[in-house]
Amino acid sequence: MCRMMATNVRILRRLGSGPTRRNLFGPVDREQLRVEYQAALQKDLEEASRRWGFDFLSDEPLESSDFQWECVPGTKVPLLYRSGKQGLDQRGRQTFREASVSTSGGSVKSPPCDKENIPRTPERCLLNLKNLEITPERRENTGLKRKQTNITDFYQAKRRVVGTPRKSGE
Amino acid sequence: MELLCLEMDTIIRARPDPNLLCDDRVLQSLLTIEERFLPQYSYFKVVQKDIQPFMRRMVATWMLEVCEEQKCEEEVFPLAMNYLDRFLAVVPTKKCNLQLLGAVCMFLASKLKETRPLTAEKLCIYTDNSIRPQELLEWELVVLGKLKWNLAAVTPNDFIEHIVRRLPLPEDKLALIRKHVQTFIALCATDFRFAMYPPSMIATGSVGAAICGLQLDSADQSQWGDSLTDLLAKITNTEVDVLKECQEQIERVLVSNLREGRQQQQQQQQTQRGPSGKGLDELDQSSTPTDVRDVNL
Repeated sequence: MCRMMATNVRILRRLGSGPTRRNLFGPVDREQLRVEYQAALQKDLEEASRRWGFDFLSDEPLESSDFQWECVPGTKVPLLYRSGKQGLDQRGRQTFREASVSTSGGSVKSPPCDKENIPRTPERCLLNLKNLEITPERRENTGLKRKQTNITDFYQAKRRVVGTPRKSGE
Repeated sequence: MELLCLEMDTIIRARPDPNLLCDDRVLQSLLTIEERFLPQYSYFKVVQKDIQPFMRRMVATWMLEVCEEQKCEEEVFPLAMNYLDRFLAVVPTKKCNLQLLGAVCMFLASKLKETRPLTAEKLCIYTDNSIRPQELLEWELVVLGKLKWNLAAVTPNDFIEHIVRRLPLPEDKLALIRKHVQTFIALCATDFRFAMYPPSMIATGSVGAAICGLQLDSADQSQWGDSLTDLLAKITNTEVDVLKECQEQIERVLVSNLREGRQQQQQQQQTQRGPSGKGLDELDQSSTPTDVRDVNL
């Protein structure tokens, strides 16, 4: 039995038939796909909100949060983690402008973007850059928030403090 | 002195690092964390309604072909299948979106493992343009979310070197053994019955099957024989009986695949050349990828 295996291992490499380029299961329903994609993202966002007690769309901690959130100025975090205005200025101001214009209308939640990593929540772009330089004394200063990239919708990006009222300069 | 242009179109590889391969802690860590990356359920019974095991096999076969044709690193395909299984274990998926999912998984695995990853455009072409790059990128985000961004999964390929180095194998046969082990691992990844097995067991079973298949165990019966399985089991802390069963299962799957392959080949021949058509060798040559053809069996 083993003998046979060895001489035939190579046949394995063509399990399929015909050209590799092929459609396996028929046409894709684009409209449905789009709907499912939006729903899946929405669900992810909700899960992340529950997990971290943070509303990533409005950039506000939730009332029921298990965590105590505090603001960290954007200048204190590595460039990679900055988003919104600061991040985009590095890469493409154009895209940012389009994004903020579309939100000034108020209704557009996720403008079409040509890059996968452009933030989907452009409201953040409207925050005042100057304020980001100031370290807020209290976390009630909710207007002073640093921005997040899209990736942080899934991961903790802001500093969280559990059990202690405030830690500065950490 | 010769002047050589070393800027070639080849991938520069790091040498195997003895600090990693000769230290037991690395293998032990791999064994400790591997279970974290297994799919949560045997999902065809629990989660999925529209898709069936044979469809997983269809998409897996297609993915393997794409990886072969694009000469991806060996671990890309098993890793992509790990993503696919983990996604399907939590998200009910429609049949018509399965190929998109397969493409996304290859996209992610390739980006994690390769210096020159597969592009979204290329993958879309392989679906015969049934999906668009934009959709691929969107679903990439969805899949990442469902995988909780845990992409650096342990695959059976991670164990190959650790196992092979602990066996008294002839130096000149090592490359061939590796090749066969990789083939067995790819074979397992196409078959859902192996989806819930720990990667170390698949790797160990595959090494056993490869050594047995190459008859390296018959050269010196006193050294090998049954003790090969014992030795293998000890290396990855697997139970001997379980390992034996796994290896036999791998061999059975190989046999059934070969049978299917032959039937397919005959059918192709008949449709292409008529029943009296000749040239099995010719067909054999043309459809065998080069990297396997030069394996001297």
